Amino acid sequence: MMYAAGIDVGSTQTKAVLMDTARGVVARTLIPTGANVKQAGQRALDAIVAEAGVPRQSVGYVVGTGYGRYKIEAGDAQVTEISCHARGAQMVFPLTRTVIDMGGQDTKAIKVGPEGNVLDFCMNDKCAAGTGRFLAAAADVLGLTLDEIGDISLRGTRPIRLTSVCTVFVESDIMSYMAQKKKVEDILAGVHQAIATRTISLVRRTGVEQEITFTGGVARNIGMVRALEEKLGSRVNVGPDSHYMGALGAALFAADKVIAQEAGAAKVVGEPVAWSDGQ
Amino acid sequence: MTVVDDAVQQCRDLLDLLPAEALARAQERHPRVAGFAVFPVYAPVEIIHAAGLMPLGLFGVGNKLEITNADSRFQSFICSIAKSTLELFLRNEMKGFTGAVFSSICDVARNLASVAGRNAPGMYLEYLHLPQSSPTEACREFTRSEFRRFRDNLGARTGRPITDDAVARSLGLYNRVRALTRQLYQERRHRPGVLSAAELFTVAQACTRLMPEDAIPLLEDLAASLPMRKPVSRDCVRVVIEGSFCEQPPIELIEAIEAAGCHVVDDDLVVGWRLFRHDVPAGPDPVAALADAYVADSCYTSVRFNAAQPRTTGLLRRAKDAGADAVVFAAAKFCEPALLDYVLFRKALDEQGVPHLKIEFEEKMWTFDRLRTEVETFTESMLFE
Amino acid sequence: MTTGTKAPPVSATVSAPAKPSASAARDYRGVVHDLSKTVMTDWMNQLQAAVHDGTPTAYLMISGNCVEILRCFDILPVFPEINALQLAIRKKALPYILKAEEIGYASDNCAYVKADMGYTLSGGVGEEGTMPKPRLIVCNFVGCNVYIKWFEQCAAMMDVPLTMIDIPFVRENQPSPDDVRYVMAQLRTLIEDCEKLTGRKFDIDRLREILAYSARAEEGWALAKSLCRARPSPFDCYFDSINMMGPINALRGTKAAADFFDGAVAHYQKMVDEGVGALDEEKFRIVVEGPPPYPYYRNFRNLFEKWKAVAVQSTYSTVGGTWEFGFRHDPERPLESIAEQMLMHNLCNRTMTERYAQIRAYVERWHADALVIHSVKSCRLFSAGQGDMREYFTKELGVPTLMVESDLEDPRYYAEAQMKNRIDAFFESLEYKRIREGAPQPAGSQP
Repeated sequence: MMYAAGIDVGSTQTKAVLMDTARGVVARTLIPTGANVKQAGQRALDAIVAEAGVPRQSVGYVVGTGYGRYKIEAGDAQVTEISCHARGAQMVFPLTRTVIDMGGQDTKAIKVGPEGNVLDFCMNDKCAAGTGRFLAAAADVLGLTLDEIGDISLRGTRPIRLTSVCTVFVESDIMSYMAQKKKVEDILAGVHQAIATRTISLVRRTGVEQEITFTGGVARNIGMVRALEEKLGSRVNVGPDSHYMGALGAALFAADKVIAQEAGAAKVVGEPVAWSDGQ
Repeated sequence: MTVVDDAVQQCRDLLDLLPAEALARAQERHPRVAGFAVFPVYAPVEIIHAAGLMPLGLFGVGNKLEITNADSRFQSFICSIAKSTLELFLRNEMKGFTGAVFSSICDVARNLASVAGRNAPGMYLEYLHLPQSSPTEACREFTRSEFRRFRDNLGARTGRPITDDAVARSLGLYNRVRALTRQLYQERRHRPGVLSAAELFTVAQACTRLMPEDAIPLLEDLAASLPMRKPVSRDCVRVVIEGSFCEQPPIELIEAIEAAGCHVVDDDLVVGWRLFRHDVPAGPDPVAALADAYVADSCYTSVRFNAAQPRTTGLLRRAKDAGADAVVFAAAKFCEPALLDYVLFRKALDEQGVPHLKIEFEEKMWTFDRLRTEVETFTESMLFE
Repeated sequence: MTTGTKAPPVSATVSAPAKPSASAARDYRGVVHDLSKTVMTDWMNQLQAAVHDGTPTAYLMISGNCVEILRCFDILPVFPEINALQLAIRKKALPYILKAEEIGYASDNCAYVKADMGYTLSGGVGEEGTMPKPRLIVCNFVGCNVYIKWFEQCAAMMDVPLTMIDIPFVRENQPSPDDVRYVMAQLRTLIEDCEKLTGRKFDIDRLREILAYSARAEEGWALAKSLCRARPSPFDCYFDSINMMGPINALRGTKAAADFFDGAVAHYQKMVDEGVGALDEEKFRIVVEGPPPYPYYRNFRNLFEKWKAVAVQSTYSTVGGTWEFGFRHDPERPLESIAEQMLMHNLCNRTMTERYAQIRAYVERWHADALVIHSVKSCRLFSAGQGDMREYFTKELGVPTLMVESDLEDPRYYAEAQMKNRIDAFFESLEYKRIREGAPQPAGSQP
């Protein structure tokens, strides 16, 4: 039995997924990336192989994704996380046509074809933060953790307004609201709405098509899910493992290769292959 | 409530409306009048009025409308007014308007005119090239031809040629509006406290949302009532506000400047609607008279090059005439003309020993604490010197 | 729009090569690069010499310029934009940008201005520096409003007289007779200023000769660009076009520039004849909109080369003139044709929607697969509204479009990892589409 692996090396976390040739997930793992990006990729690969109890040689193909994708020594190919999130989201929610991926430093809107292929995408422009990093900054000023702020924001009834979604100014904005004795839940509700508004305008660039799947680390934040749904006026799909979506997509691309190898063909026309040469 | 308070409140209410709502308000007195939006800084509103339309100042939408469409067209480094103005067009919030006029003030405004036009089919969007040269004969000729082109296009659009008589009548009305506004500026300067900068700003901007026929009685009542208000004397720094010629700051910003200890003695807020130093005599050719006034009798702005009237000289004279102690340079964030002009302004002010402070604003500002602290520190440094 | 509808002067035959190239080698830093370097270095040497030898010099801007008039008086043109560009490409811009910010320029101001002003204030211009101090500053205000402030500030800081040439923006389909008259009157003023500066009388026959050289260079420019319609394209019309932009914008009106284009066209024609392209393999043909990130020029280029993507047309190369759409300076109508070129036949003085039409013509007639927009913060003339452009091309025309953002001068705005990510994802999706459609490479089309 041959396996395929997808490794998503992000700025803070590295995720890996091991898949069999029936495209079933056999094992997965999540470890902190740490300072050594190269090692993170290797450690994650070792971890899934160990968890599945299969020999390393049985992993026929490894696809790397995420910002550290070119640093993975075991990687046979690299695919951007944009392609991977589209592919992963489509596997989990087959009717997905729009993916919103919100991570630590990027927010992406991806228009997806019926096979999980990328039709169009847009990412936040450079200085318009409005990402996970912004939430972290807000949580920090309030002395809260990232995990609590979503729930708290849902209790807000009179959201405050923010001047911008700039991580630099969010601190002083929040501090002046605290000085005005605004409630923490209202401040947080405002913070979530500000990012949601920013995100909607990003999604408009590629076009909003049903169904919408929300992926990335921030998708675990219920406050952000609700804020997005409210602005979109529709439900969004959120899986329990939304943060694994990139690694899952990478594993799917790797599985294509393994399946094609087993079928004895180097490249099957019609299979979604989208390789960069690993330069 | 006094007459003044009442008038200012009316103006404030008017500024809370979206342009189409302000137009609807005017239609209560002027049934079925169509609007024609005037993007800053300047356009010959007399020609629009003479066409039987209502010229209405289009200064973005402040914080009254959330931007959800326009920032997919304009990047994060583009000023608020361009985005919020485009938002109005994208959301079909310009109902009742025949069109809009933009001019050659900056690269963003120029592209905005083009992008707005593409997204507002059926509207007449005009772009005026206002001259960037010395007031030579060629410049005068060109400006006359440009104003005539606008008159002819507008007349063709409404199906009613615009006559000289009509322009002369409109010119008379706007001359009166501008003269009254100049009078209020004088009052504010010479009798501190009778009219605050925030109040005058409100009134001046509201006049861009009124037919001149309606602005005149409002301004006359105001002017007549000011003597009843008592000047207040307190320790203040007399300042000129410079840099807000296009995008207008939130009213709270002006309030914060005053609260921080400044007495505003002159400014360039809404300057395009009060550009001429004197009444413009209509003469036999009122369109040419307007063009000539633009070329030779308008005050300096950051969006016009005029070798005969360098802007640094203009600012120094403005500060001197107003007896200002300092200049507060308040620029819209990302406003290239204002931010570039700051370099030479700063140099000239330093050379003359005039203290100055630079602040930046944008439409969607909700907290002014940081800004007030800056201005307070600045005034303290002057008052306790 | 006239630009978009007039057929480019595409001709299958090219006059006999003036300087036959030895072999049709790839062009990056190849034959044409060397030819360009030779003529540009010669001009740079003249600039260096002018620092001390008293040659009359004048500042001028690139877009829609009237360099021929200066040349007619043997006034050496100096282009602060080229100065800024060179500082950026040599990775020397940042300290000068910071210097300018010290005296009050905002972080949001155009970094071209800042780098040049910082350089000037650091003594780079004048007796102690490498660039001659201008005796006259000629501001050809063609579209870009920043030009006005930039040159006004140069004039104030260096105490040099300024001549403003106010070019009315094209706001109807074409310039009106009044627009042309206005520009002609200003050109006559410029001529008087040049007469005063040099003590020489204006010689219109000399101007005619110069314009004949201009027209010859413009013809070469148009021919070279039309050769990029071939598959594979002989050069990258974005990255390699700077080899041609120097000669056409700064040296136009000289014999050297006209000869340069003869040599370049002959070389490119030969490449096309032999089926040699800019890259080993040409997989994707793109049109690029917006100026390049000069501080990371090579790095940015590699991100496309890796995907075997070649630019077959670019808008940035037309800031000086849109000669591929047919306009030529006319020695029979010297001042009129200079005025027309400044008003109408360059990218900068035209509306956004006309630029859309120009790009559309490029996509269709140069057989491009996709549009790449490089949005630069410094230049709002280019960038303001590019989101709408993207909207138009993806949603109304169905042209795959990528928008990436950095700057043309300020290295602080280039984030390599982000840039790479976006470009990779874009070509991944194009590649998928191609595999999916099972589309064989379209048959080669010769120009």
